Amino acid sequence: MRAMILKEFRELRRDRRTMAMIIVFPLLLLIIFGYAATFDVEDVPTAALGPQAQLVADQAVGLFDVITIDTDGTADTARTLLRDGDVQVAIATDTQPPTAFVDGSNLFAAQAAVGALGRLGDQITVDVLFNPDLITSWVLVPPLIGYIMMFIGTVVAAIGLVKERENGTLEQLAVMPLSPSSVIMGKITPYFIVAAIDMVVVTLLGMLLFGVPFVGSVAVFAVGVAIFLFVLLGVGVLISTVSQNTGQAIQLAIFFLVPQILLAGMIFPLSSIPWAIRWISYLFPLTYYTTISKGIMLRGAGLDSLWPQYVVLAAMAAFVFTAAVLRFRRDLVPRRHRKPDAAADGAPA
Amino acid sequence: MTAHALAARSLTRRFGDNTAVDDVSFHVEFGEVVGLLGANGAGKTTIIRMLAGLLEPTAGDARLLGDPPNRATQSRLGYVPQGLGLYGDLTAVENLAFSAGAYGVEPTALTGSLAASSHRLVANLPLGLQRRLAFVSAVQHDPEVLILDEPTSGVGALGAARLWDQIRVEAERGAGVLVSTHSMQEARQCDRLLLMSAGRLVGWGTEADIVAGETTVEVDAGAWEEAFNAVAASGALVTLDGRSTRVIDRSVEEVEALLAREGIDAEVRTVPATIDERMAVLARSAPE
Repeated sequence: MRAMILKEFRELRRDRRTMAMIIVFPLLLLIIFGYAATFDVEDVPTAALGPQAQLVADQAVGLFDVITIDTDGTADTARTLLRDGDVQVAIATDTQPPTAFVDGSNLFAAQAAVGALGRLGDQITVDVLFNPDLITSWVLVPPLIGYIMMFIGTVVAAIGLVKERENGTLEQLAVMPLSPSSVIMGKITPYFIVAAIDMVVVTLLGMLLFGVPFVGSVAVFAVGVAIFLFVLLGVGVLISTVSQNTGQAIQLAIFFLVPQILLAGMIFPLSSIPWAIRWISYLFPLTYYTTISKGIMLRGAGLDSLWPQYVVLAAMAAFVFTAAVLRFRRDLVPRRHRKPDAAADGAPA
Repeated sequence: MTAHALAARSLTRRFGDNTAVDDVSFHVEFGEVVGLLGANGAGKTTIIRMLAGLLEPTAGDARLLGDPPNRATQSRLGYVPQGLGLYGDLTAVENLAFSAGAYGVEPTALTGSLAASSHRLVANLPLGLQRRLAFVSAVQHDPEVLILDEPTSGVGALGAARLWDQIRVEAERGAGVLVSTHSMQEARQCDRLLLMSAGRLVGWGTEADIVAGETTVEVDAGAWEEAFNAVAASGALVTLDGRSTRVIDRSVEEVEALLAREGIDAEVRTVPATIDERMAVLARSAPE
């Protein structure tokens, strides 16, 4: 057994990725999650609307951070602002008493806002939209579907290409008249189709089991899902191009997947995460998918308000695929691109 | 000037401090089978990978159909790597269909024992059938150049003979064939040989060219074991052929003197060297 232990230590010492995973990754996760994992909501972006908008803005203290003042705004304006995700609370003063509309799709912010508004008693009516009973599963299931798909999509795509390397078939692909992009697209298209079907099944199951509503456009959601899946598969392929074997590919996939549980706004609101950590959230595709899925499924938001998320996801897809193709090209086309000079004469015949 | 099927000019490949291929030049014509011969680690696979465009030369040129390997010339190449490049989780026909699809040709119909196993997963096929399938897959698109890296490794004598028949058919069709092997028996199937040792090309030509005029000392002794042990103990390159001891790198006089010192009575004569013996001499004389 001693020999076995020594052998393992020696292997471990030379396996930098595993060492990083064992030593560096837990420290990083502890620091990042420690700062990110907070249920405390300190600021709730708020709109003050109607004839008394300025008065509301002046009197709003503590939790409510008034970022929009519109004296012409109405209750309808409030609903639109909330649907588009511009604010999380909109106080309309065109009603008597004023009505505070609260976005129920942001659970912790909504709970904090409802608590604070409740202390005002009859001075204000509180109307929670999109998730009136503040049901946790309604808020959690839409991004969770994305996370599940991300796990499956990224890992499957990462392993798929690495398998070619491990089995020695990559070399055969390299001499075939196939471009790197054809190989990659040929590899991921079946995964994409299966993942898309999987996504539909999981989404329907989520709605069926947890009663999660779907109030927005299915077509807009489908486009978002397609782009999201492309990013995931692209990340998987990129991981596979820098991995020599399945073990390395899964390790890298874990590095990519685990931080997103807490940083993508799926559980903790992004607004509660300090900027020192929050910038990392914006590097992850799940952050944008979370906004898209909650926006469309719960609030009925459309492309007019969600287009920035679509643009970022599309840019991510373009980036990861370009990087994967370039990286993969190094495996398939390792030659120097030199202009040939004279023929190889003088060789032994 | 017509391009060669394959050409290497001053081809060199270094991996860190190790020079795997050192200043190697040769070419392969269309319709000929050239054997790349050498022990494991001699640099055969590295040369093949550079010629196929899988590995960048550190120096020198690798030419495939007259050009540095590129997608256009690779589409006219048939390549069977040592690892075969087959998908173990696909059946034989599915592997052929994939390869044919990539080259834009119709899949070849399997014959013989391969046909009987056409719907079995490749991972479950015996190595001999796998190698034959890899070969069929590589020649589906009638390549002008065929590169085979140890194509008969692990295959029985009958399977190897069948494979060599197929290699010959491809050469007669006009393909230039480069075959790496460490088997001297197989080397005899080639039109020309390139002898590699420690990354260098140490000999080339036909088998007759390589052994021409070269001799070996043959020792026949009643006490043949003693004779063999005595010569071997002197550090000479020595092999046993039946009960005859063959001494590759010593003169008749040296062997006679050695045996006389040991008191062994033997008949010592000069005989023509074999390709194996010539290879051993060339390999020993190659710089480290």
